[in-house]
Amino acid sequence: MLRETLALTMRALQKWVRNPASVMPGLFTSLFYLALFGSSFNPGNLGLQEAFGGAPTYITYLTSGVICIILVFNMAFGGIDLVLDRQLGYLSSLLTAPIPRAAIYLSGVFQNLAKVLLLAVLTFIVALFLPSGLKLPGSFGVVDFVGVFIAFILLGLGLSFIFTALALTVRSIDSLVAIVNFLTLPIMFMSNTFFPPSSFPDWLKTIANVNPVTKANEAARLLIVNGSLSASQASTYWSDIGYLVAFAAILGLLGYLAARRALRPE
Amino acid sequence: MADIIQAENLTKVYHGKVKAVDHISFSVSEGEIFGFLGPNGAGKTTTIKMLNTLASITEGRATVAGHDVAKDPGGVRKSIGVVPQELTADDELSGTENMLLMARLHQVRGSSLKSKVTDLLGLVDLQEAAGRKVKTYSGGMRRRLQLVMGLLHEPRVLFLDEPTLGLDVQTRSKMWDYIKGLNKQRGLTVFMTTHYLDEADSLCKRIAIVDHGTIKVSGSPAELKAAHGGDIVTLTLSEDKEDLTGFFSGIEGVSGVSREANVYRIKLPKTEKALPAIVTGVLQKNLEIAEIAFSKPTLDQVFLDVVGRSMRDEESSTSDSTWENIRMERAR
Repeated sequence: MLRETLALTMRALQKWVRNPASVMPGLFTSLFYLALFGSSFNPGNLGLQEAFGGAPTYITYLTSGVICIILVFNMAFGGIDLVLDRQLGYLSSLLTAPIPRAAIYLSGVFQNLAKVLLLAVLTFIVALFLPSGLKLPGSFGVVDFVGVFIAFILLGLGLSFIFTALALTVRSIDSLVAIVNFLTLPIMFMSNTFFPPSSFPDWLKTIANVNPVTKANEAARLLIVNGSLSASQASTYWSDIGYLVAFAAILGLLGYLAARRALRPE
Repeated sequence: MADIIQAENLTKVYHGKVKAVDHISFSVSEGEIFGFLGPNGAGKTTTIKMLNTLASITEGRATVAGHDVAKDPGGVRKSIGVVPQELTADDELSGTENMLLMARLHQVRGSSLKSKVTDLLGLVDLQEAAGRKVKTYSGGMRRRLQLVMGLLHEPRVLFLDEPTLGLDVQTRSKMWDYIKGLNKQRGLTVFMTTHYLDEADSLCKRIAIVDHGTIKVSGSPAELKAAHGGDIVTLTLSEDKEDLTGFFSGIEGVSGVSREANVYRIKLPKTEKALPAIVTGVLQKNLEIAEIAFSKPTLDQVFLDVVGRSMRDEESSTSDSTWENIRMERAR
């Protein structure tokens, strides 16, 4: 199954790499959020630095939020290629080949994840070079960078599991777009993507605190702002990672069951 | 030859409402080209989908290359190549890359893979375009590429769903040559659907005409043509003096006569026996023959007899079939 999953994933990535322009819209979205929205205010000037986790600039706080925006939106809309594959008959030609159905599903999951992670890394790098941009602590090293991206990978994996299954289930691009439009904005706004939940009303705070996007942002920001973590910070980090592992595992299982159903003979 | 495809009472009902295929039974011998002929919405594609595991079987049973389609779909998939109606080769990849991807998906590996890909592309005259992206290919080139993409893993049965749909006459005839070559040189069994009567006539050893989900008639093209009227003699007399319909019908070997003024269309299953009697009879009545023409029966005639409308009428009136297809698609 690994071989077929890899072959199908490579097919999608090969097409993507050959068209570098397709990376640009995502990168511009990141740039606009960071450079325009991120520069619009500075929590330090308003005495809110502590509420923003001690981030020295708003872009330092916002960078992980923008990466989460990229993850959510690109995972959600990444399924359009799969819907097109079904509409153009490509999926049928895969279904008549002796390959496990799981390989078709997993290749959809991994191709989206690989594309979005590249965008996430580019966003991180762009944020470093912006004026009043991402300011990392002196102790921030490669291990911390990996730690930050583990949180993003787990969030991305969970999202990719469920949105890929959704793309295999729906029969038209219109349906997919309608569903993901309904889901993506609430996922983003009901989280700590733009602002800390401490200022949210109770009902929104309750939802934000269980939103996996909040957990990924919290884990990433702990490392981005502090570098070396204290014992309590490390405990929060690992608890968030545990939550994201469970999130990815549950959505992986649900996504697999939904995809298996969607790929059954008609 | 042993049967490589067997279908018994094969039935497909979508969502308990739309009966697309209704208790059809047939068998295909190893090494033959078998054609499923019928108008749009007749159940051809649904039948092919059941046989290649894309659609579940509501009732009945089918085996392909010894594998039960419902119980061992994996075994079926290993034994078949499928060339769908849609153009599914990846536009952004080259011909060779599409072939190599298909090879990986069918677990075809080894040092000879590249030469195998080159040989197959050469077989359909695509060697020069092999490195180009498929989006630069013409419709005919894409169809040819798809044909050999379905052969990389050396399947025992090749399913072709409308293999020449949308191609010009010249390219269609070239495709027929490729299909005949594959059948002859490799002993490949081909199960194809088509709504081109000349295509079925030229390619298929046996055909089945389907309509409304059932097989109306099956046999070799020659058998079907013989069974549905035989040869036709068109006799034009110089003058329309008397009605000879009764006289011609009484001649041994004549199976039907129709008259339009002084022109008679006479169906003859055995031309050699009846034709001299017809000519002699007319001359004995002191009538003059202005023109006599002889034509072989066509599958169009058979189709007209069996389905009740000609394939050309079917092609020109697409609105009903379009709605039928939409109905079926929605039911899925």
